[in-house]
Amino acid sequence: MPEILVTVYDVLMRTYPGFLEATLVTLQLTAVGVILGTLIGLIFALMKISGSKILQGIANLYITVIRGTPLIVQIMFLYFGISEIYAMPGFWAGAIALGVHNGAYIAEIFRGAIQGVDPGQREASMSLGMNRKQTMQRIVFPQALRRSIPPLGNQFIITLKDSSLVYIIGVAEIFSLANREAAQSFQPFETFLVVALYYLALVMIFTFLLRLYENKLDVDKA
Amino acid sequence: MIIGENIHKSFGDLEVLKGVDLHVKPQEVVVLVGVSGSGKSTLLRCFNFLELINEGKITIDGHTIDPKKENLAKVRAEVGMVFQHFNLFPHKTVLENVIEAPLIVKRQKRAEAEKKGRELLEKVGLADKADVYPSKLSGGQKQRVAIARSLAMEPKVMLFDEPTSALDPELVSEVLQVMKQLAEEGMTMVVVTHEMKFAKEVADRIIMIDQGKIIESADPKTFFENPKHERTRQFIQMVE
Repeated sequence: MPEILVTVYDVLMRTYPGFLEATLVTLQLTAVGVILGTLIGLIFALMKISGSKILQGIANLYITVIRGTPLIVQIMFLYFGISEIYAMPGFWAGAIALGVHNGAYIAEIFRGAIQGVDPGQREASMSLGMNRKQTMQRIVFPQALRRSIPPLGNQFIITLKDSSLVYIIGVAEIFSLANREAAQSFQPFETFLVVALYYLALVMIFTFLLRLYENKLDVDKA
Repeated sequence: MIIGENIHKSFGDLEVLKGVDLHVKPQEVVVLVGVSGSGKSTLLRCFNFLELINEGKITIDGHTIDPKKENLAKVRAEVGMVFQHFNLFPHKTVLENVIEAPLIVKRQKRAEAEKKGRELLEKVGLADKADVYPSKLSGGQKQRVAIARSLAMEPKVMLFDEPTSALDPELVSEVLQVMKQLAEEGMTMVVVTHEMKFAKEVADRIIMIDQGKIIESADPKTFFENPKHERTRQFIQMVE
């Protein structure tokens, strides 16, 4: 076996207890980021299609600011900015930053999906005597949700990878552990290769689960 | 049943309906014809307020509708509409499509709605398709489900907006057959269509709309054999 594979294997075996713990933190960060982001995204998507100029304006401002600034700046801002007022644990500052960041992208995903539903669906629903709210709840949203699942899945994968940026405020997720390992062991190449494998494995598992879910939806509809 | 008086409708600068008067009597079957862009579909859509008129008055079953004051959902529930592209709900089964509005709008009990829904599917010849999704149906079947879905609300009048235009030729007759049956049962119907055979056989009256105005209104025999207006004559020549 080539020398490099042996050392990578050694690093993998030596570090896996720590990395498994760190993986849990990464998954927790991702979960909070995704859930919070979905809630925020839904609210801002509804604001954007509300027809109220004020709500639309607020949503547009939010989306512009968040999409126009780097996530790492948002994390630092939240961690140090807010801690002036309230000392937030690093995990929560990071998770909330991920949620707020994702919310802007998810809002656009939802808005596109809602507006992408054939106008004929709304017309048919309304012609049957359903009011605007019933039409949205029963006809438009369920179809929009189906449409948004592939781009949402994509966004979730981005969140998983973006959670590595939270290392900057010292949360013990995969990447911050990797940094420490690399420095202590003088094996940065092997360590980061191992880290890449962790992320790759997580993304592949996630992609697989997502595909299962998409197939299930298609079967339902067919 | 439906009275339209001096109906004007514009989209931006384009005036599509320029003062239309139309009185549809109970149990009457009125067929609207005209070249594309004449305003016939728009007129139909005004009758269930998918388009709001700019000027004029619409009375449905003796009740003049002011779109600003009225609960339009309630008005629409009494006016059935069948669309060119069916617009079935793809995420619901055939039966769910049919019972959706009775459940949600009329708040019928599920068992009752399902019983009625199955009867309606039987009526349009699709009882065996109750539990499949629309994507598994042919165009003709989809349109028959759409008709059943509309009938489930027990409308006082049915509007058909080119119901067979999107169908393959061999599927047209199964839809027209259902419509003919409805007409025989005494349903009030306003139908936009290019099916002249259907118009001849089923319509009580054929109305020709040209450039946003009614230019001819006559029983089928008079309409085809002795039209008054030159444009009607040209139109008949073109379609026959």
